[in-house]
Amino acid sequence: MLGFIIQRLLQAGLVMLAMSALVFIGVYAIGNPIDVLISPDATQDIRAAAIKSMGLDLPLWQQYLAFLGRLLSGDFGRSFVFGTPVIDLVLARLPATLELALASVLIGAFIGIPLGIYAGYKPESPIARGIMAVSVLGFSVPTFWVGLILILFFAVHLDWLPAGNRGPTAEFLGVQWSFLTKEGLTFLILPALNLSLFKLAMMIRLARAGTREVMLTDTVKFARAAGLSEMTILRRHVLRLISIPLVTVFGLEFGSTLAFAVVTETIFSWPGVGKLIIESITSLDRPVMVAYLVLVAFLFVTINLVVDLSYALLDPRLRRGGRGA
Amino acid sequence: MSASPLLEVRDLRTHFFTRAGVVKAVEGVSFSLEKGEILGLVGESGSGKSVTGFSLIGLVDPPGRIASGSIKFEGRELVGLPPAEMRALRGKRIAMVFQDPAATLNPVLSIGQQMTLAVQAHGRASDAAARDLAARTLTRVGIPDAAARLDAYPHEFSGGMRQRVAIATALLHGPDLIIADEPTTALDVSIQAQILAEMKSLAKETGTALVWISHDLATVSSLADRVLVMYAGRIVEAGAVGETLRAPRHPYTRGLLDSLPAMARPGEKLNQIPGTTPSLLSLPPGCPFAPRCPRADAVCATDPPDVVTASRLVRCHHPLEAA
Repeated sequence: MLGFIIQRLLQAGLVMLAMSALVFIGVYAIGNPIDVLISPDATQDIRAAAIKSMGLDLPLWQQYLAFLGRLLSGDFGRSFVFGTPVIDLVLARLPATLELALASVLIGAFIGIPLGIYAGYKPESPIARGIMAVSVLGFSVPTFWVGLILILFFAVHLDWLPAGNRGPTAEFLGVQWSFLTKEGLTFLILPALNLSLFKLAMMIRLARAGTREVMLTDTVKFARAAGLSEMTILRRHVLRLISIPLVTVFGLEFGSTLAFAVVTETIFSWPGVGKLIIESITSLDRPVMVAYLVLVAFLFVTINLVVDLSYALLDPRLRRGGRGA
Repeated sequence: MSASPLLEVRDLRTHFFTRAGVVKAVEGVSFSLEKGEILGLVGESGSGKSVTGFSLIGLVDPPGRIASGSIKFEGRELVGLPPAEMRALRGKRIAMVFQDPAATLNPVLSIGQQMTLAVQAHGRASDAAARDLAARTLTRVGIPDAAARLDAYPHEFSGGMRQRVAIATALLHGPDLIIADEPTTALDVSIQAQILAEMKSLAKETGTALVWISHDLATVSSLADRVLVMYAGRIVEAGAVGETLRAPRHPYTRGLLDSLPAMARPGEKLNQIPGTTPSLLSLPPGCPFAPRCPRADAVCATDPPDVVTASRLVRCHHPLEAA
C-alpha cells in the first residue's frame, strides 16, 4: 500500500509539472498583458519599464524556469492587476468555493443516492418514474437558468433566502467559513442547491443502474433466503456493492465543481475562485491564471488519489497487493 | 403429533407471466416431506426443479408467481402468507443454499459481517454473540480456525470453503428444512463428495429435512432417501431412491439413467434422449415427454394417469414393468 501511495505521488508530481508547462505556454500565447494593463498612450519608456518589472522581456523558457523556481519555494508570483501575492488572492477566495462545492456534492450524494436506490429497487413504481423525470431535468436544464429561477422564487418572491453574496462568516483553522454561522448558511443554500442539481441527477442515475443490477444477483437472493429484511439488504449489501462508481463520480464532480463553479458563482455573486479566474482572464492577469490552474490540477490529483485509496477501503479484493508490502 | 408431515405440497403451479405468454414452469406438483428426510429433486435444465425450490421458500422472481396450489409447512399454509411472516420463516425455519457460492456471498463484506447480518435478521443479538454463533457453525461445517477466518473475505476462500460458508449460513438458526439448489455443481468432484457426506451427516444429526435439487443422479442416489423426477414442470416419477433408480418405470427416468457415462461401454457413443426439452410456453396436451419417448403412441396425446403402487408414482400410459 505504501509503495502504491509513493508511486501515485510521483505520478502526481509529473502531472503537475506537465500541467504547469502547458498552462504557462498556453497563457503566454493568448496575449500580451501589457496592452491591457497600461494606458495605450503611455510612453515607450514607461512601457519598457513595466515590461521589465514584470519579467516579460525574458524569453519564454527563462520566464517559465523562473516561475517554476519560485513555485517550488511556494511563491506563485504577484498579480499584475492587484500587485499582491497571487497565493493570498487565491487562498482568500478558495474557502468560499470549497464549501460551496462540498455542500453541493454532499446534497447531490445524500439525496441522490437514496432516491436512486429506491428507483432501482422499484423501477416500475410511479415514485421511481417521478424520480427519473427529475433526474432528466437535472441533466438537461441549464444551470444558469435554474439559478435565476431559484433567486426569483426563493429570494424575490418568497423572500426566504438571500439572493446573493456570501454573508457573514466565522473563522475556523484560520479560514473564514459561511457554514459555521446560522445566517451564513442561508447564503450558502441557494447556490449550493443550484450546483447540486446536476450532481443529484448523476447520483440518481448511477445508484439506480447499480441497484437494478445488484438486485438480480444471487447475493441478494441469498440474503433474502437468510431472512434479511429488504431494508437491511439495501443498506448493508446493495449500498456497499454499488459504492465504487458512486465514490468515483463523487470525487470527479467535487473536483470539477471546485474548478468550474463559475456560472453559479457569478449568478449568486459568490466570491469564489471561479469569479477570480474569470476576472483574471479578462485582464490577462497571467500569474493568477497560472497559479489557479496549477492549483486546480493539484486538487484534481489529490482528489483522485483519495478516491483510489478509498477503493481499497470499499472493495477488499483490491487490497491484496497491499498485504505485506 | 407427527401425523402431519413437515412439508406438504399440493398441486403447486408456479407460472411466469412474460410478454411472450405464460410459462408454466411448475405445473401441478405434489409431494410431501417428513422431518429429517432427504428428498432428491432431479431433472434436466428447465424441468422446473429450481423453480419448485424457490416456490417453497417464497422467492420466485417476478414475473413469476405461485398461480395456485398449496404449500403447507408444519400444517401452516405458505402460499399467500404475508411477506413479513414469510421473511420470519426464511433463514429461521426454511433455509436455502445456492449453486454458485462465488455469486451468493457478498464479495465486499467479510464472512463474519455477512453471517452476523443473517443471525441478527431473526431477533436481537449482540455482534459478539452473533460472531460467536457464526464461528461455532463454521466449525460444524468443517472450517478450521473458524473464529480467525470470520474477518476473511469470500475471495480468500476456495470454492469448496465458500460453499461451506453458505451452508453454515443456512444452518445458523437450525432450520427444519434446507433447500439445496445444485449446491455441489460448481465444485470439484472430490470436494463434492466431502460436502455431500457432511450434508448427509449434518441432516441426520440435526433432524433437518433436505430438498436436494440436482441434475446429477449419482449425487442424488448417494444422498437422498426419496427421489422425484421432474419433466416440463411435472413430476413424472417418484419413489424410494434405490428402487426408483435401480428399476425406473418412467421412460424418461430410464433415458436419464441410460445417458449416464457409467452406463456406456468404453469407446462407445453415450446414449442420449433424442430431441430437446419442450418449450413451456406452448406445451401440447397430453404427456409432455411423448415426442421424445420410444414407447409413445396415440394414447399419449391425452394426459397420462398416475400409476401408483405401494411406494411409487409413475405418470405414464406405458410404464416400464416393475422389476
